[in-house]
Amino acid sequence: MALCQNRLQEERKQWRKDHPFGFYARPQKTPQGVLDLKVWECGIPGKEKTIWEGGLFKMTVTFPDEYPTKPPKCKFVPPLFHPNVYPSGTVCLSILNEEEAWKPAITIKQILLGVQDLLNDPNPERIKRVVRENIAP
Amino acid sequence: MIRKFFQFNWKRKAAEATISSSTILPNKRILASAGPESSVVAAAAPPTPVTTASNGMDSEDDFMSAVSSEDDILPDDDSDNDDMSDAEDFDFDDEPDPDLGMHKDISDSKKAPFDISFKVYQPSDIQRQQDELINEVNMILDISKEEAAILLRHFRWNKERLIEDYMDSPSRVLEAAGLSQTTAGPLKREVIPGFVCDICCNEEEGLQSFSIKCGHRYCVNCYSYYLSQKIAEEGEAARIQCPADGCSLIIDARSLEILVAPELKKRYHALLNQTYVEDKETLKWCPAPDCQNAIECPVKKKDLDKVVPTVACLCSHRFCFGCREDDHQPAPCELVKRWLKKCKDDSETANWISANTKECPKCNSTIEKNGGCNHMTCRKCKHEFCWMCMGLWSEHGTSWYNCNRFEEKSGLEARDAQAKSRVSLERYLHYYNRYANHSQSARLDKDIYHKTEKKMVQLQKESGMSWIEVQYLNSASQALQTCRQTLMWTYAFAFYLSRNNLTEIFEENQKDLEMAVEGLSEMFEKPVTELADAKLKVVIMDKTSYCNKRRIILLNDTADNLANG
Repeated sequence: MALCQNRLQEERKQWRKDHPFGFYARPQKTPQGVLDLKVWECGIPGKEKTIWEGGLFKMTVTFPDEYPTKPPKCKFVPPLFHPNVYPSGTVCLSILNEEEAWKPAITIKQILLGVQDLLNDPNPERIKRVVRENIAP
Repeated sequence: MIRKFFQFNWKRKAAEATISSSTILPNKRILASAGPESSVVAAAAPPTPVTTASNGMDSEDDFMSAVSSEDDILPDDDSDNDDMSDAEDFDFDDEPDPDLGMHKDISDSKKAPFDISFKVYQPSDIQRQQDELINEVNMILDISKEEAAILLRHFRWNKERLIEDYMDSPSRVLEAAGLSQTTAGPLKREVIPGFVCDICCNEEEGLQSFSIKCGHRYCVNCYSYYLSQKIAEEGEAARIQCPADGCSLIIDARSLEILVAPELKKRYHALLNQTYVEDKETLKWCPAPDCQNAIECPVKKKDLDKVVPTVACLCSHRFCFGCREDDHQPAPCELVKRWLKKCKDDSETANWISANTKECPKCNSTIEKNGGCNHMTCRKCKHEFCWMCMGLWSEHGTSWYNCNRFEEKSGLEARDAQAKSRVSLERYLHYYNRYANHSQSARLDKDIYHKTEKKMVQLQKESGMSWIEVQYLNSASQALQTCRQTLMWTYAFAFYLSRNNLTEIFEENQKDLEMAVEGLSEMFEKPVTELADAKLKVVIMDKTSYCNKRRIILLNDTADNLANG
């Protein structure tokens, strides 16, 4: 627990020091006005020269108590139409999967950049959402 | 159809058998055999079904298999090398052991065709095998033992391929296996001034840190927590990577020694042993609960359609090496799989369908009648028919409901078609019921076995017989169970057989065994006072040995025919 808080505080510090252009990431405020380090609100800009250009896609990142042993959960709010995004908005990405490529040293910056890449470069092997018209009746 | 499939590559099998005869291990520790009567000598010989596989083939099959055998012998030879890479244990000389040839002669007449050779390894043997391989690679390639182990795991313990590839291009092999080429000094915990751990962001003075050869450095706490998480929670051992994103370097056993608690090391090594057995095609764990032994058996996956490799572990659990299900002689694995699946999907449903539904005479959809009227309209094809006689409704005219046109032609035809589709269902149910019956009886017989133990004690007291003298009950009960197990699978097997003369022989054998088993089972349930009778004892003993013999005959016959196609 302490590890989780420490690490998130440091992530916050690092992010404020330096972060990629167009992105934002900040811990949510609870109704009492206290910062909740375990839920972050982030924004991911669409890459230039792709269909995503000009958009800013809002994503909530929720960190479990076991962070950084376990990966955070990333969810687009509102949900976003993409083959690797569940209808609920949850992102399916290898580095966000504990059994796959999650490593405790992965930073928030790396996650957000990874999701940005995913937008225009979907992974056909982990399709979580299908266009309905394509399904035979 | 199945029989045709079996015929397909009988000759290839023959080719392999000659190979496998020269791969009998010189340093066998435990040698056991599936057959009840076979000795160690018999088990050392190769499976015999192949040696008798020549007559009775029609020319087309002969042609087919001749082609496939010539194509396949070489790759087979190759894969043989792959599978049994430990050259220490395996002798690839072309000339077989001199006394092996002698055994072969004996075994041709004596050994049962359904027996196969196998060995049981205890955990210490598994460890020793790995150590031997690691030492060897360590010496040949001049790399540390830990790295040798990682390389061997990467190559699934195929030493020859490892050495060959490594000689070709050491750097490529090392990279693919997750090893670094830099030769850093001994890895240890270090205190580096100004170090900040990227995982916990701790920057205290004097913080101990660690890194493997890639140089990604984290504090000792985070590192060991990461490892324990991988080992304890995820059950990973052979492929734990550096915690850095995108770094695929594998953490070796020595680094692990420095970092984790002793009980986790134990678990780590247990997991490594597990990957060793899982990586090798010729090794499998005994599936019995709490049994830690592994079994080595040279039978290959693609031969499973013609041998049923039943093995017996030291813990006395008997199972099929091919699919790790309980002993299912004489039916081959593929049939067993299909049968079990069919039973799971079908049996109850089929019973219900048979009892409650009819098929539409036109489109064969299954229809359940849920109202009183006999005027049926198929929802799918809109065919209108009479539920009573299955004939066209239009022919009924106004005399509907009282179906008085039993002799009508269309109704007769429809009933014929219906009967045909029912026959296949009934055929399945016939075999299934017998299969299930034996399976249940085997379970009940097992209960009786527990009672037998009590009976034996009682018998000793009442009749003054010695312990040895009442053992016949024990052996009878065991015979009963194995025979039931076999019988059970003969029914599954029979379901997939096409009707011909061989099937008739098979069924005769089956009938004979079944009658004997039922007889034995009946005697077995008699009260203790009758059991004490010396006459009955003799009868039971006779029956026991008869059952065992019939079972072997049945299995022999089936194994022969399976191998012959």
